[in-house]
Amino acid sequence: MTAVDVRTPVAAQPRRTSRLPRLLHPGAWWLWAAGLALAASRTTNPLLLLLIVAVAAYVVAARRSPSPWARSFGVFVKLGLVVIAIRVVFQAIVAAPIGTTVLFTLPALTLPEIMAGVRLGGAVTLESMVAALYDGMRLATILICVGAANSLASPARLLKAVPAALYEFGLSVVIAVTFAPQLVADLDRVRTARRLRGRTVGGVRGTAAVALPVLEGALERSVTLAAAMDSRGYGRQAQRSPHARRLTAAALLGALVLVVIGAYALLDASAPAVMGLPMLALGFTLGIAGFALAGRRSVRTRYRPDPWSWPEWGVTACAVATAATLLTLSITGVPGLIAPVDPLAWPAVPPLAVLGILVSVLPAYITPPPPGRAS
Amino acid sequence: MTHVIEFDSVTITYSGAERPTLAQVDLAIEEGELVLVIGETGSGKSTLLRAINGLVPHFTGGTLAGTVRVAGRNTATHHPRDLADVVGVVPQDPLSSFVTDTVEEELAYGMECLGVPASTMRRRVEETLDLLGLADVRDRALLSLSGGQRQRVAIGAVLTAHPRVLVLDEPTSALDPGAAEEVLAVLQRLVHDLGVTVVLAEHRLERVLEYADRVIHVPGGARPLVVGAPADVMETSPVAPPVVRLGRLAAWSPLPLSVRDARRQARQLRERLHQLPARAVAPTAEPAPVVSVERTRASYGAVPALRGVTLDIAKGEIVALMGRNGAGKSTLLSTLVGLRRPDAGTVRIDGVDPVTLTGPRLIGRIGLVPQHSTDLLQRDTVAAECADADRDAGVAAGTTAALLARLAPEIPADAHPRDLSEGQRLVLALAVVLVATPAVLLLDEPTRGLDYPTKERLSGLLRDLAASGHAIVVATHDVELAAETATRVVVLADGEVVADGPTAEVVVGSPLFAPQVAKVLVGADGADVPLTVTEVREALAVIG
Amino acid sequence: MSAHTSAVRMGAKSWAAVTLATVVGVIAFGWPFLAEPGSTAVAHAADAPWIFAAVVPLVLLVVLAQVADGGMDAKAIAILGVLAAVICILRPLGAGTAGLEPIWFIIILGGRALGPGFGFSLGALSLAASALITGGVGPWLPFQMIAAAWVGLGAGMLPPLRGRAEIGMLSTYGLVASMGYGLVMNLWFWPFLGGLEATAYSPAILFDPGAPVSENLARWFAFSLVTSLGWDIPRGILTAVLILIAGRPLLTALARASRRANFSPAVAFVPPAPVTAPPVPAAREGATR
Repeated sequence: MTAVDVRTPVAAQPRRTSRLPRLLHPGAWWLWAAGLALAASRTTNPLLLLLIVAVAAYVVAARRSPSPWARSFGVFVKLGLVVIAIRVVFQAIVAAPIGTTVLFTLPALTLPEIMAGVRLGGAVTLESMVAALYDGMRLATILICVGAANSLASPARLLKAVPAALYEFGLSVVIAVTFAPQLVADLDRVRTARRLRGRTVGGVRGTAAVALPVLEGALERSVTLAAAMDSRGYGRQAQRSPHARRLTAAALLGALVLVVIGAYALLDASAPAVMGLPMLALGFTLGIAGFALAGRRSVRTRYRPDPWSWPEWGVTACAVATAATLLTLSITGVPGLIAPVDPLAWPAVPPLAVLGILVSVLPAYITPPPPGRAS
Repeated sequence: MTHVIEFDSVTITYSGAERPTLAQVDLAIEEGELVLVIGETGSGKSTLLRAINGLVPHFTGGTLAGTVRVAGRNTATHHPRDLADVVGVVPQDPLSSFVTDTVEEELAYGMECLGVPASTMRRRVEETLDLLGLADVRDRALLSLSGGQRQRVAIGAVLTAHPRVLVLDEPTSALDPGAAEEVLAVLQRLVHDLGVTVVLAEHRLERVLEYADRVIHVPGGARPLVVGAPADVMETSPVAPPVVRLGRLAAWSPLPLSVRDARRQARQLRERLHQLPARAVAPTAEPAPVVSVERTRASYGAVPALRGVTLDIAKGEIVALMGRNGAGKSTLLSTLVGLRRPDAGTVRIDGVDPVTLTGPRLIGRIGLVPQHSTDLLQRDTVAAECADADRDAGVAAGTTAALLARLAPEIPADAHPRDLSEGQRLVLALAVVLVATPAVLLLDEPTRGLDYPTKERLSGLLRDLAASGHAIVVATHDVELAAETATRVVVLADGEVVADGPTAEVVVGSPLFAPQVAKVLVGADGADVPLTVTEVREALAVIG
Repeated sequence: MSAHTSAVRMGAKSWAAVTLATVVGVIAFGWPFLAEPGSTAVAHAADAPWIFAAVVPLVLLVVLAQVADGGMDAKAIAILGVLAAVICILRPLGAGTAGLEPIWFIIILGGRALGPGFGFSLGALSLAASALITGGVGPWLPFQMIAAAWVGLGAGMLPPLRGRAEIGMLSTYGLVASMGYGLVMNLWFWPFLGGLEATAYSPAILFDPGAPVSENLARWFAFSLVTSLGWDIPRGILTAVLILIAGRPLLTALARASRRANFSPAVAFVPPAPVTAPPVPAAREGATR
């Protein structure tokens, strides 16, 4: 924050909405990214996809915290490029050509009948390359959105927001993340000790020989850890009546049953439409209810939880707006969402889609800056 | 008045054990006491401490006869988690008990489990940070803290639940003297200012005995406990700090517990010892050095660890390498054994650069027992370990086992090395290293977690080895071990040698490195001062 | 079920949850082969992968919530966390080369030594933890978690053999299960590559919603051959070899840890034995001070 100028009288100093630097609740960023990813999955228009990538990159650049885990965005961008490359190569080698503009011809090879008589190679057309490019771009954009979420809200922070129903597993993951660097240090020490015993250190044998002592040490420490956890009060449970317990189990198992029914109905041609997606949605809600009920068993409180206030709601609203816009446009079949490939033509750009995507830039402005950077 | 901890005819037997670990224990500890629990390794101290908060038998299994009551709650009906708000247990190795990764979260974790409201948690975390002097490290990762800071965080982590009793199992064993003082000062403050009852098990009694209100001696073998005022218990306790043993030797009454008490009673003894002739200076026949370090520098990246160390060690010398944490002791040892290549300067072991040595040639020249002796032990039975050592050193099968039987006959051949006590593991590691008959033996902090009898055995062993021609370097914080064993002391600070000379010259008069006996008996005239109780005994025998 | 200890208690409800989740998982992974032509899934073949991608995380979380509801004590959590940490460290060792992830043998041996519930939890958690440590949580994670959980669960349900037969059985299971993991993950990704809406464009080894099951199977096999068998076969072989070499020492270490941890300790409280001799005054602590 800029220093307040003490020479000017207080009344004359510029009023600043003091948004204290803080990290946004991680769930908000993941929802935002999910909204963008959902929007990306509805279109293969390269211009729209590039716009989505630009929006994501801008928000990441604006709101990324200086900690080291924030660098994963670049990794995901590279991953996206690899996916595009794989998809294009795939199309060239394996796919039947689309369209007529032949670029070059690969030597052809026909696989035997047991592998569906697939033809590898053959003519490679411009249209199929472009189709593959569009498709790869779509997948890459989704990956980049996930990378943006990783970068803005480290998944490790999500651990703190784990719902009470999954507390034990969240704690295990926390322990794993905490122990891993200690184990690496142990590995080093044991490897040094091997050298002190006069044995080979490098290579597979060396690595294998140090693995067992490190594992045994780790297992011993886990018992110490368990004793310490018990002594500090881990495992205290709220008194639940047997009725409440049964209700929780019923909700959780019921959710699973509904999902089974819904999933099966999706596969069965004779099932009525009401059994498919609606059942899944019902199962989803019942699952959430079961979660809430299962969470009642813990007496835990949270120390300094990430607050969910206006900026988080704002970000969620942006995510919903973007996803809803593109969903609606895709359902109503607006031209330009699916770029034409055969014949090859420049895709139309629906302005409503552009607007919907640009809404997701707002989180760069409405959220507080992360601590450790100038706003 | 009800006591805060009550043991009523308690007998504890672990599952599958033929005899009880503790038998017919009757104990009543009052609020605000600092109780010290002493005893040899394996005597049952840990069992006693763990019974206080119910870990024994709920966590470990076993049979508990009798009743243990803490703050009125019976451990038979209360699990450890139900007692977490009245008893805080600080384990020996804080790093193994940390659940989160920063200081602040660790302090809050216990309260989260107990369901303390968020505002109260916030307040208590701030108070605890101030109480323990951790406010400036609150955001640091736990792995980046020093040993003393970690121990204080571990104490704070259980303190935030505002327990009435604090139970600590060897809190200062892994700490250097400065950090140990900090931790003990914190405990003192808790007892005196906050009225917390502290029950503490320790091996190194020098630092802690004077603070104790009562001492419990656990003799082991299910024999009855000896409980009483410190001076009374110390009359007959087999584990006692040098000051107490000096008092027993000189028949002082009441027994002194600290250097200050002892000095008050020591005037006569000091005068008697003046009659001693001056210590005979050993003829300086300079044998050729077997370890030769010349202007050696080493660094970890940009951080220098050794800045030009020059050192020569001859056969038959026992050198104690002392200095605070981070002074470069471990770096020097690693450089000597060839694990690191120095940035500049030369290191020669028997004329050879150790970096060029590997395998049997390395272990035949120089051996290092690292800080965690368990690192050297990589098999699952003692017998397999010995067989491995025979193979590595290229000696006849059974040599290591025979050596081990001489050093520690009580270690069974089929035991798992990790099941042995600290002292036994150290002896096993020593046997494994010694079977290759290296000319130079290095030990890094060997006395962590060892009780007095084991330390004495270790001292005797090292002296025998030196007499048979080995050169020995021990990096240690333990001034008593240095006084007992070392012929020469080298003090490192900031990567440089700041003192190097015979033990008596270096340690006497130094506030940090002087052993207790020296501090008690040092006079104003700078005459020769005995460093250990053994030396006093011998001196008195000479005087008659 | 094996005769070994069970670190994570699995009651009837937990088993029901796991079974239901497995059914959903089979559908979510295998729908290209199970969907009847004319069903909703086939009609929206481009959307179906997304729907199932949303269903699997929910199901995974619900089943984990049910297992946790059954009660997990500190020892189970601690050992789970520590073994997951070991797996996190081992995973990058293969550096992604040809699928050489030396983690499956630990999941399998852990499930064998500590029970099916533990194996299920270990599989799910270790993949989650290693994704968190590397900072790469993607839409593939819930699928990886549930597939790995199945590997661990299966290992815990193998028959109780001993000695060399046990190692042989585990090694074979390792080969099959880790290759199966790869093929199943392939299956998840396969419909995504179907891409564009119009089925006329779908390449001949990608999913064709209109084709009969046998043809799709053949296509999938060709797809796997072209893409991931180069990854799955080395993974399978590596796992089998690691179990053969390190299986016995690891199982011993885990059994020892399980004994020391004492997951279901025998705890007894008895009244004090009568004191036969009068207590020696010096040895008894007086209550006054």
